[in-house]
Amino acid sequence: MSFWGDFLTRLSAGTLTTLELLSITIPLSIILGILIGVLRVYGGRLGSALANFYVFIFRGFPLLVTMMIMFFGLADVGIMLEPFWAASAAIILCSSAYQSEYVKTAILSIGKGQSLAARALGMNRFQEIAYVIMPQALRTALPGITNEILYMILYSSLAYVIGVSEIFASAMTMNSIWVRPGEIFGTIALVYLSMTTTASTVFKEIENRLRIPGFEGAR
Amino acid sequence: MTAAGEVLRVENLRKRFGKEEVLKGISFKVDRGEVKVIMGPSGAGKSTLLKCIDLLIPPDEGSIWLEGVELTSPGINVNQYRRKIGFVFQEFNLFHHLTAIGNVMLGLTKVRKLPKNEARELAEEALLRVHIGRDLWDKYPAQLSGGQKQRVAIARALAMEPSIMLYDEPTSALDPQLTGEVLQVIKELAESGMTSVIVTHEVGFALEVADELMIMFDGEIIERGNPSEVIYSPESDSAKVFFKKVLRLGGVGR
Amino acid sequence: MSNLQVLAKYLPYIFDGSLWSLGLVGAGLGIGFAIGVLMSLGQVYGNPLIRKIVDAYTWFFRGTPLLVQLFLFHWSVFPAIGLRTTALETSMLVLGMRSGAYQSQIFRGSIESIEEGQVLAAKALGLSFWQQSLYVVLPQALRKAVPQLSNEYSIILKDSAVCFVLGVMEIMTRTRYVTIATGIALIPYLIAGALYIALTYLGAKAFDMVYSRIRIQGLVTG
Ligand SMILES: Nc1ncnc2c1ncn2[C@@H]1O[C@H](COP(=O)(O)OP(=O)(O)OP(=O)(O)O)[C@@H](O)[C@H]1O
Ligand SMILES: [Mg+2]
Repeated sequence: MSFWGDFLTRLSAGTLTTLELLSITIPLSIILGILIGVLRVYGGRLGSALANFYVFIFRGFPLLVTMMIMFFGLADVGIMLEPFWAASAAIILCSSAYQSEYVKTAILSIGKGQSLAARALGMNRFQEIAYVIMPQALRTALPGITNEILYMILYSSLAYVIGVSEIFASAMTMNSIWVRPGEIFGTIALVYLSMTTTASTVFKEIENRLRIPGFEGAR
Repeated sequence: MTAAGEVLRVENLRKRFGKEEVLKGISFKVDRGEVKVIMGPSGAGKSTLLKCIDLLIPPDEGSIWLEGVELTSPGINVNQYRRKIGFVFQEFNLFHHLTAIGNVMLGLTKVRKLPKNEARELAEEALLRVHIGRDLWDKYPAQLSGGQKQRVAIARALAMEPSIMLYDEPTSALDPQLTGEVLQVIKELAESGMTSVIVTHEVGFALEVADELMIMFDGEIIERGNPSEVIYSPESDSAKVFFKKVLRLGGVGR
Repeated sequence: MSNLQVLAKYLPYIFDGSLWSLGLVGAGLGIGFAIGVLMSLGQVYGNPLIRKIVDAYTWFFRGTPLLVQLFLFHWSVFPAIGLRTTALETSMLVLGMRSGAYQSQIFRGSIESIEEGQVLAAKALGLSFWQQSLYVVLPQALRKAVPQLSNEYSIILKDSAVCFVLGVMEIMTRTRYVTIATGIALIPYLIAGALYIALTYLGAKAFDMVYSRIRIQGLVTG
């Protein structure tokens, strides 16, 4: 098989795995990040303490450490996760901690008057948060949330370390067979560049669509 | 004002923030269709009083009755009664993420749980009542002038079909040339029989709409009665000083 | 000896990795600082060509994983330009170039936040471009950037863990050796994680100290 033929085969398999990994971790980390962000602000003493501890740990650990713990570490206590799921779990834990930071900051940036007005209409706490605070907070947090997604695309490559056959792993295999690092890692760089560039273009478009007058400066 | 019964009764309301006693036992009642105006210097406790009535701030002592129900009794579902009290804030507090009509509809769909189309009809009606025309319904708060914002905020409260409206300095955040349109709306509502408690610094407006004027000073109501009597011949020294200032700065009749 | 006792014996070995990790971070921040300052000036004051170059540079370094950059430079780019680097040297340079891309964005923001009047006043005095930058713009911009540099420190610190793929003897590499030697993984990696948190905390404290020293009295920085 020719070098490029071999590369293309492996690269497309790897890309598929990376996309699979991202399609699981991105939505879950956003949902979990929002929940934890809300818990940090509205969770009462116990809830916010737990949520803050979660963030302290998973933002404090390098993703690589969390990944090793999910794959090798948990095996010590009898939990054997497949590489793909260990990587997914690690990425979700780490990214949701970062996401929650954006969500929390955004919630805290919403003025007190919004909450007063909601309560004056007779809304209960849940309605106030769901219909008044969060729709605004999530718009404010959007640039942070999308930025974190770009990081997730880049950092998903670390899954290679615990044996997930994603894009970077396909490059390592190629290089061990053909030993042409310039072409191989150069091409891989282009693949990631096209993914991050596409994603950031799409996010800009989404941010434009969701734009509300008066929210431009809200950050 | 007909004696169609009492809407709001406040008895011996007290509130302190730390050491400072901001409300020192306030009592008054408001009958259906009555318009009460409260005036007083900055820091007198006027905003605190209104917020306590809507239980946006929990009072320390005293009781509040709305149409015969004691809101301050333990175990009561506050939200159910709050929707019957319309509150208009000095800083409008329109929901930034919703259009004008969206702001008015939110309470209707989420709190009163009306279906969308019915909510929309009521919202349109309320907006028209405050002279917000069709062309402004789909604008976001940031695209409205101050006067328009405050009128939308009034419509938002009005659409809930409240038993009473509370206004906390509704024109203080507005440029002078925009206060007129808001005061006009409040006056029209009052004349149509809307029971109201209005905190304001506008002397001329108070003279026009108030059935009773109450002067608050340092957490107490120090004077109350017929508006022109209270304004032009106040009894207490504090009220005299206050009106001397207000009349000189603001002038009567805008 | 039980495995745990062996592990206890190895703890200092893991802790010694801190020095290597901090070395990577120090080099990365330092190289990144030099690159970042120059590029931010280029981006704010440069001609269209310079701006294009700066944009392309940040586009590349912010759009590709560190993992790819490490291998690309170690096995291809550096050898191609005749640089024979050790794994440690490659890691330091790559962390630095990468951080340069991020730091240039930080400095760009802080340069642009300086009021126009400052530069006008400098020009009115007859200062040259480099004098304006050196004596008026940068002293203010760099001070403003300290809190974000502190954040950049914690990011590079965690990124430096990735350099274990080249076998640099930093915390992760050593931890992995220990897991292999003892057959225990969970505890060593938790210890490594705690070590990173401690180093993040210490670094943040250091930056706070620097910031309170060099803050300009009476100037509210945004
Ligand atoms: N949440 C609070 N915590 C502590 N003190 C408060 C709080 N809210 C109000 N106060 C204090 O209570 C006093 C009365 O405030 P309030 O806002 O009710 O006055 P006001 O009569 O509405 O004045 P203004 O005309 O300026 O609006 C003030 O001294 C104020 O500082
Ligand atoms: Mg007030």
